[in-house]
Amino acid sequence: MRSVIHPRPSPIVAAMYTLRDMDVDVIVVHGPSGCSFMASRPLENADVRVVTTSMRDNDLIFGASEPLINTLKQVEERFHPETVAVIGTCASMIIGEDMASSIRKAAIDANVFPVDVHACMGDNTRGAIKALEAGRDAGIIDAEECSRQISLMKAATRLEKDAGMASKDYIKPATSPTKLHVCRHIADVLSKGGRVAVVMDAKKELAYRFADMFEAVDRARKALGGETLFVANLDSTKGLPRIRGYCTDILGDLESKGVKIDAIVGGLDEYSVAGQGMRDAVDAFKPDLTIILGICHAYPGMSTDDILITDQPRQLANYLAAGCEWAVGEIASHSLVMGAHEIVPLETADTLRELL
Amino acid sequence: MRRIAVYGKGGIGKSTTVGNVSAALALSGLRVMQIGCDPKADSTRAVAGRRIPTVLETMRDNPDPELEDIVFEGDGGVLCVECGGPRPGVGCAGRGIIAAFEQLEELDAVDVYRPDVILYDVLGDVVCGGFAMPIRNGYARDVFVVTSGEMMALYAASNIAGAVSDMRNDGYARLGGIIQNSRGVKDEDALVDRAAAEMGTTVVQRMPRDPAVQRCEERGTTVVSGEPDSAMAGCYRELAKRLFDASEDADGGMRLERFR
Repeated sequence: MRSVIHPRPSPIVAAMYTLRDMDVDVIVVHGPSGCSFMASRPLENADVRVVTTSMRDNDLIFGASEPLINTLKQVEERFHPETVAVIGTCASMIIGEDMASSIRKAAIDANVFPVDVHACMGDNTRGAIKALEAGRDAGIIDAEECSRQISLMKAATRLEKDAGMASKDYIKPATSPTKLHVCRHIADVLSKGGRVAVVMDAKKELAYRFADMFEAVDRARKALGGETLFVANLDSTKGLPRIRGYCTDILGDLESKGVKIDAIVGGLDEYSVAGQGMRDAVDAFKPDLTIILGICHAYPGMSTDDILITDQPRQLANYLAAGCEWAVGEIASHSLVMGAHEIVPLETADTLRELL
Repeated sequence: MRRIAVYGKGGIGKSTTVGNVSAALALSGLRVMQIGCDPKADSTRAVAGRRIPTVLETMRDNPDPELEDIVFEGDGGVLCVECGGPRPGVGCAGRGIIAAFEQLEELDAVDVYRPDVILYDVLGDVVCGGFAMPIRNGYARDVFVVTSGEMMALYAASNIAGAVSDMRNDGYARLGGIIQNSRGVKDEDALVDRAAAEMGTTVVQRMPRDPAVQRCEERGTTVVSGEPDSAMAGCYRELAKRLFDASEDADGGMRLERFR
């Protein structure tokens, strides 16, 4: 069997992001200090405290209960958190660390729970599922929401394997073409009185950036003519409180700019299953041009005539290889949206505004 | 330099055997280093005449140990080293073996003492990569397995022989033979002979059961020192000679020259 050999997200990191979604105050990474460092920094920007037990070779040999207990005590002293998740890493899980026992011994005044994850579990979403189950057992989320989230994770995994970044054994990351040709195309269609559908199927916090396109296209319609349809997975009644808050933030921001979403289809955690409903809304509108933002391949029947805007360089490579000449990348988006509470400017949207 | 690893099921008498072989070789005028690779750290107890501090505990308390902190002279000048490891149920003893070897190499232990023979006394079965370390990467050249005619001891011996054979293509250690520690099992010699043949090797020597072993153990000494005139001491001296003759005198330091 050929396995995917380009770097893939780790189950440890998926667990950390899921803990953030559940509003856990502090994440203790029980492992070497460098483990998941690159993922930890942006999480700190999103107001999650991430700390490490900094395991050393001696801890591998003799066990790392003591550093974990000490770290938990420091966490209590420094942050006075309500909820703390202790997550495993390859190092601590291979040596069979008993995190629950150390948590009991530390006996700090907070809801502390272990998440048994390591990076050799296969799909990164398995780490997210482990975090959800741990959160459920610790009483952070209810059982119903937990099973809903787990089925969404499984759908996301299937989507990645069928059409996404796990669909080939190696994908070279692409650099984005400039956005000018795409924006001229949009302006051209609107100037001729054409119908433009803008569909955002965004993965959680990335909506803070992709949603900027609605404002730019709305402004272009006012300036140039034509008709628009705005569809987005911004249902603020779906998912965990934190994710619902993203919808409220973004819809409020758009409203303040006089922009209205015509059809809200699914919540921000439903990106892998919302595509068909979006497609139905767009088909009824009969557009001359469709712009898809976010997880574009989750939109059934995505075509080479559509404008595709993704934040992932490997996903962009997939689209370009499939002949989607209107695909562009908003590559550094994730780091820009961490901790955001209002819409973050999108390069393509800025370019379109500049053309007007 | 000869580099010999002795494996075998726990409780089969490896440490007693290795300690006596070390002492016998040392008393014959050779410089011997015995390295215990078991978290219990009792391999060298008889030959050192006491429990010595372990490499890993020393490293934990002192990041820059000296050779004198981890190598101790015992019976006949045998250089005694205990890797040590975690208490049962925590940490990773296999990783400990690797770290202890790295520490010995960092301090140039073998180049400083230049022993004629290094004897590794390794815990039980080959339970993971760490405990296979002595037979990998050019540490030991010749592997001997201690077994009785008991089924579980033979089973462990066969696993060890399998591990050695799997690594043979890498140019690591080779199986030198079986040391039979007789337990009085019915048809024991025939059982051990047959198992050895299945492993593609032979029995180097059959060691009888002798109360002298227990007596000397209780006194905290080896048989070759404690009861040098006993028949058992003679057996150990003979075994030491056979192991020495059956193993390769190869260039290099702690590792064979081509793996340095």
